[in-house]
Amino acid sequence: MEPIMITGAGIVSAIGGNRAETLTALLNRQTGIAPLHYLKTAHREFPVGEVKMSDEDMKQRLGITQEPTTRTSLMGMLALQEALDSAALTGRKDLNVMLVSGTTVGGMDKSEQYYLDYLSNDDRNAYIRTHDCGATTELMAQRFGLFTMATSISTACSSAANAIILGANLIRSGRAEIVVVGGAECITKFHLNGFNSLMILDHEQCRPFDATRAGLNLGEGAAYLVLETAASARRRGVQPMATLSGYGNACDAFHQTASSDDGEGAYLAMQKALRLAGLQPEDIDYVNAHGTGTPNNDVSESQALFRLFADKLPPVSSTKGMTGHTTSASGSVEAVICLLALQHGFIPANYGWKEPMENGVVPVAQVQKGVALRHVMCNSFGFGGNDSSLILSTAASSKGRQQQPTPIIYIKAATQISAQQPLCEDWMTEPVLFSEPYVRSTDPDFKAWLSPLESRRMGKIMRRALVTAMKVMQDTGIPQPDAIVTGTGLGCIENTELFLDQLCREGEEMLKPTYFMQSTHNTISSLIAIKGGCHGYNTTYSHKGISFDSALLDAFLQLQLGDIRTALVTGNDEMTPSYFSILQRTGYVGAPGEVAATEASAAMMLTTEPGEALCSVEDVRLSLGVPQLAAFVGSVDAIMLGYNGQDDNDRIYETLAAQLPGVPQLHYKHLFGEGYTTSGLGLYASAQLLKRGQAPAFMRCDGGSETLPVNRLLFVNHSDGQDVSCILLKRL
Amino acid sequence: MEELIIELKKQIIEVLNLEDVQPEDIENDAPLFGEGLGLDSIDALELIVMMEKVYGIKIKDPSAGKEIFKSINTMADFVSKNRTK
Repeated sequence: MEPIMITGAGIVSAIGGNRAETLTALLNRQTGIAPLHYLKTAHREFPVGEVKMSDEDMKQRLGITQEPTTRTSLMGMLALQEALDSAALTGRKDLNVMLVSGTTVGGMDKSEQYYLDYLSNDDRNAYIRTHDCGATTELMAQRFGLFTMATSISTACSSAANAIILGANLIRSGRAEIVVVGGAECITKFHLNGFNSLMILDHEQCRPFDATRAGLNLGEGAAYLVLETAASARRRGVQPMATLSGYGNACDAFHQTASSDDGEGAYLAMQKALRLAGLQPEDIDYVNAHGTGTPNNDVSESQALFRLFADKLPPVSSTKGMTGHTTSASGSVEAVICLLALQHGFIPANYGWKEPMENGVVPVAQVQKGVALRHVMCNSFGFGGNDSSLILSTAASSKGRQQQPTPIIYIKAATQISAQQPLCEDWMTEPVLFSEPYVRSTDPDFKAWLSPLESRRMGKIMRRALVTAMKVMQDTGIPQPDAIVTGTGLGCIENTELFLDQLCREGEEMLKPTYFMQSTHNTISSLIAIKGGCHGYNTTYSHKGISFDSALLDAFLQLQLGDIRTALVTGNDEMTPSYFSILQRTGYVGAPGEVAATEASAAMMLTTEPGEALCSVEDVRLSLGVPQLAAFVGSVDAIMLGYNGQDDNDRIYETLAAQLPGVPQLHYKHLFGEGYTTSGLGLYASAQLLKRGQAPAFMRCDGGSETLPVNRLLFVNHSDGQDVSCILLKRL
Repeated sequence: MEELIIELKKQIIEVLNLEDVQPEDIENDAPLFGEGLGLDSIDALELIVMMEKVYGIKIKDPSAGKEIFKSINTMADFVSKNRTK
């Protein structure tokens, strides 16, 4: 591929508040791991890599007084500020600049402080809606006011690496010229206790790849890179710092928290990155390993490295002995460390290492200075075997883009579990209409699909997600799609609540590891991959009401680029009784005259292979703010809108519809309710009616009693009036 | 010991949410992990929490679980020797 320029970078971690401080610490082999200082927790025994600033310190440095904020968003703003400054983008509101950010913790620092308030009083209402991953990204985006699109990825410890991958795909596909990518994550009691329940925290300074290693030290931080086309960088007169020359993501499909002994997922991810970069293993001059210091990761990663590099293993080090494991931010924190290594010609030390482990790599223990590096590899692996690898190179000459014809992208099959009859299209002839403010999903007999043993730890959302995915894989005869992409606004909220509840009421001892493990957003995508033995691309979007739409965009771009031929796209959210009551009390859902608050799953198979299909997808666009539809929509027979009876919500749809005067309006939320993933159901319904070439009368907004013929349809969706998605579908 | 064995089986079924498994389905000598009942490393962590909660036994090394949770018999033996409640 044509290398993508890196024209800016910013970083905040335990070893420094910017690039210059980070470089000094790396060159001097200084660890940022220390006893806990900022986080209030009973577990004082664990050393951590905290950012050496309180929330107030960070707000002062940023010059803001606003609330609500979250610690993750504050660290993110600091790193973003540096990245934008270094790329000469600060204040440039005339450019098309997108933001893709990874986090899993999101606003958990506030949720764990105020959880009991959320349940019982109105004291901390301002923070309720800062909980999710997307809210953290929006808090950051709002501060800078220059982004034209924003979305969030949550795949636990590979989140930021996967954000870099989407950014690169946005550029390669010609969608964007500049994308700011990375991730942010603060330490919380929630995941400190979660990792403790998994017994993978070291009580001492961590020692990646050492014989005596006994686990990881948690860290925190944020880092962002500015990815840019060579043409845009030239035009703006910005000097590239380096290039992103390759990247790959693959799924280990082995276990939800453990890596396989032979590191299959890691091996495949590194191999994909090399292939995309057009490089051979011997071209890599340094590998920044994931190297967490847990017994399992370091064995598995060593095997993957041995398999890929054989007897040509380049110098390897893990920098987590200095930064701690910055979890969702680690992909970009370590990418910026690799960038500094390339720019300043040194190999960072594997701090803490003394004694070689059995069958493991022998890392670089001391800093090696004065080394000319051309290509460096950066690994990040997350729960569920979500493995990503990036290759950064010195700014090289462009190899030239190979233009390929754009393939037609089909939705081959789609299904749902929602308030309607599950796994079928009965709703098109016999819709279930409901008047309650809160409706849970109508579930099929899960036992017909999943054995009690394999589903013993799965909450409702996981069972729904797996069964809809299995149905679509079965219907299409595609048991192992090239990509599995999930959207979820809140993730597995039931398990999150169970763990939070235990934490807040019973204290920080004897917490259930299952609740923690199942609380991560990527659980869904990884369960589907494990069930089907799918080693392909795997990722999860968590960006409020456009989570599903973001997942669809990701798959659409990769299909368009020809990187993949089949993609399973799913949208899943749940609405627990307690979460509903919080949202209803605070006036967000459940008022009279509004559609019901619901939970649902939608799954669909996208492919570029011709054959029988529901419809084709012509375009998927996300934007911050209402876009100009005339610029790309053309002539459509109908516009599918998400009216839900709330004035603020419906007004935005009216604004969108007004841009297409005379085009008949359809709606779907009276059938599928309102929830973070209802857009997945809306798109599912749109695809089904295009298959039939007509929309049932009960979906018409004008009250007409006839069916409406539809051959080309615009689906629009918005989240809080901020993020808007537009999807163009066509009948075959 | 017989009483403890039945109690352990009930605890395992409840803690690990083994729907459709009855205490009599679990043989005292059969392996709990891999073959046999088919449990995995997360189940082992759940059992470690259970040992502390129910019997007051704190297991600090996760790899120690391998020996202790080999079968119902080894668990019962360990509990009877180490329980503090």
